[in-house]
Amino acid sequence: MDSFKKKFIEEASELIDKLEVTLLELEKNPDDPAQIQQVFRVMHTLKGNSSMFGFDLIDKFTHNLETVYDLIRSNQLQLTPQVLNVTLSSVDHLKAMLDEGNYEDPDFLTTHNGLIAKINQLINPNKGEQDKPQTNSVEFKSDSVVHTYYVMFEPQSNIFRNGTNPFYLLDELSMLGQTKVFAHFNRVPLFDKINPEQCYVYWEVIVASEQGVGAINDVFIFVETDSKLEIQKVADINLLSDPKFVDEVTQLANVQKDIGYVTIQRVANQAIARHNKQKSEVVKRERIGFKDKSAASIRVSSDKLDGLMNLVSELVTTQARLSLFAEENSVPGLGPIVENVQKLSRQLRDIAFSIVLIPIENLFGRFQRLVRDLSMELKKEVEFITEGADTELDKTIIENLSDPLMHIIRNSLDHGIEEASVRLSQGKSTKGKIVLKAYYSGASVIIQISDDGAGIDPEIIREKAILKGIIPPERKLSKKEILDLIFLPGFSTAKKVTDVSGRGVGMDVVKKKISEIRGEVEVDSEVGLGTTITIKLPLTLSIIDGLLVSINKAAYVIPLAAIDKIYAVEKEKIYSSYNNLVTLDGKQIPFFSLRKEFHLDASDEELEQVVVVNFEDNSVGMVVDFVIGEYQAVLKPLGKHYKTHDIFSGATILGDGTVALVMDTNKIIKLFAKIQTINVK
Amino acid sequence: MEQEKTSKINSYLTFKLGDEEFAAHVGKVLNILEMTKITTVPKAPDYLKGVINLRGAVLPVIDARIKFGMPEAEYTTNTCIIVLDIDLDGDSVHVGAIVDSVQAVLEIDNNQIMPLPTLGSRYKSEFIIGMAKIDEKFIIILNMDAVFSIDEITNLKVNAEMNADNVNVEKID
Repeated sequence: MDSFKKKFIEEASELIDKLEVTLLELEKNPDDPAQIQQVFRVMHTLKGNSSMFGFDLIDKFTHNLETVYDLIRSNQLQLTPQVLNVTLSSVDHLKAMLDEGNYEDPDFLTTHNGLIAKINQLINPNKGEQDKPQTNSVEFKSDSVVHTYYVMFEPQSNIFRNGTNPFYLLDELSMLGQTKVFAHFNRVPLFDKINPEQCYVYWEVIVASEQGVGAINDVFIFVETDSKLEIQKVADINLLSDPKFVDEVTQLANVQKDIGYVTIQRVANQAIARHNKQKSEVVKRERIGFKDKSAASIRVSSDKLDGLMNLVSELVTTQARLSLFAEENSVPGLGPIVENVQKLSRQLRDIAFSIVLIPIENLFGRFQRLVRDLSMELKKEVEFITEGADTELDKTIIENLSDPLMHIIRNSLDHGIEEASVRLSQGKSTKGKIVLKAYYSGASVIIQISDDGAGIDPEIIREKAILKGIIPPERKLSKKEILDLIFLPGFSTAKKVTDVSGRGVGMDVVKKKISEIRGEVEVDSEVGLGTTITIKLPLTLSIIDGLLVSINKAAYVIPLAAIDKIYAVEKEKIYSSYNNLVTLDGKQIPFFSLRKEFHLDASDEELEQVVVVNFEDNSVGMVVDFVIGEYQAVLKPLGKHYKTHDIFSGATILGDGTVALVMDTNKIIKLFAKIQTINVK
Repeated sequence: MEQEKTSKINSYLTFKLGDEEFAAHVGKVLNILEMTKITTVPKAPDYLKGVINLRGAVLPVIDARIKFGMPEAEYTTNTCIIVLDIDLDGDSVHVGAIVDSVQAVLEIDNNQIMPLPTLGSRYKSEFIIGMAKIDEKFIIILNMDAVFSIDEITNLKVNAEMNADNVNVEKID
């Protein structure tokens, strides 16, 4: 049972996250019926699930919320900002309910009851109507089997003589289902002319019943022959559940002497048309709902996924061995099979890999909420724009990104975006802007947070750094170097500690957290224009497409995503180069020889291979001995003993069982570029 | 459970580095491999010889001689890689150690293990569990976790140069 509960909580948290995103969307477009529908649906699911798993409190709580959105979607309630605020706090409360489970806590109960009161007030500004919407929906459900009939009953005037009371007949009729009776008294003569033994009244009845015409006929079976009776089917649905229809008919009955089948039919047709429209909408909604469900897919434990990834890795390694074997032993017919296996394992790898990736969307949604609440708290108007929410990253990376990103965004809001008056005086729009953007760049994902706020003044940073003894006063630093100081421990640029940021979690923690997931973080800022913080993350490929090269007979893998082009260059050109620049395709490209950097002797080959890789915005050439070919590398960690040695992101096992190191081109270039500048100095 | 069982066993694997004989508890030893081709990792410290393929996993290999501050030696047919299971900051890490030769598996009773003499010892006590005298030979029983978990070269000897040149200094200490 506990495992079910766990699953429920997991699922409910996901639903609540989704709810939050939708609510924020709704805040922007309060009239979007699709979103309202979505909110309603999520609440409904949540309610259903919680009652199923015995979370009664959540069940009851969401039931009230659901009612609110039911009213909104049926246009009986306006979606006001107030409603949204209450809903959002309710969402928070729901989260708390899921997290803690301590429902006895007095604080909890106060919030709980307070919210329920607020919700009830939304449902019922003037109490007493509470039951109405519910009964309505119940009737609606049974619609499909109920038909509506028009019955016109005009008893013979001497009907009383054989002991029949027409009221009993009407009572009996109303037993069949819902009825609406219109009695017509227009034939009743003046009082002095009334013969009490005669019946002057006739009735028109609208019956909504599951029973057929026969049943209605049976009611009148004893009076049939003497009375005028007309029974007509009006509609295949329950028109009496449509309040508009009832109103219209009642009005008609008041005005006209009798309504008549034709009129009823006309009014009914309108009602049917209305109903069909509604129904098709419901169907449509249901369809959308169904689609959503199939897209929401199945749950798999991450252990299984890890297992799958391991197996795929093994498969890829084995496949490499098979390819090598096929190359060495020319067995007729083996070639095509090996090629096929290679193709399939590549596809399998791609799919298996994509399974562990999730879009960054959820994370972004969380920040929407953060920005909304914070900007209200700080009384700053902020427009928060997210781009590239469909960018996919490994789940663990996304989990670890949450805190650093939250910190950066808080900083932007608190220290970056100025007060409206300040902004106005600087000729900016009063509304600040924060853009959170994610996109792919080569083998990495870039996440950028930029604001159009005050920016970071390098002079202030410098002064502060000198004050804190981080840098000596005479030290000259480039702007970038100064800005990088904010990532040092104990360096908080906040002048005052606010509730929002400056709680001790500094940018140093941000940097640490990001490097823990093998990412890099950079800051760029222009005083008065704003700050941009760029986070570069690996896709955490446990398998990567690489280029297999050899240096001094040892194999290395360079990630294919980083490679721009490969050139064969004569040896002289490289070794005679004075300033490590080589001209390729008319462009001067800096290069370094990996042989040299790895402290090996120069090779004997006449031609050297220059692999041009992208480094930041530049191209850099890396000289290797041979280019062997493309290779799918299963990345294996080098182990803790090499943890400080990060120019290699791992190793991979080749088909012949030897180990090839996988280069991290960025780190290698950085390392060697540093060495060279030192040498020049 | 299993951990308990293995630690109760009093078997030790002895190996040679130069003239000296060392022992490691068998609970720490996973495997003994013949010397194979090692893929060098450029720009790594000297004692980190590189990595090898151990049944599909990448295993870092450490030259025990260099690690212990001894001169490097040519590999012979007797040179072996002992695959060790090291406890590194609470994680179990596998690492290969290159030794000159593997000798034997000996039963050494706990009461046979003598503490290091505090005075005049040539070895740092944190790396060594104790010594045992077997067949008139002294065998140094190493604390493998301590020896192989530290990044730097762990000079086993208190101070190789000082020790060799001036024993008196040690004694005064």
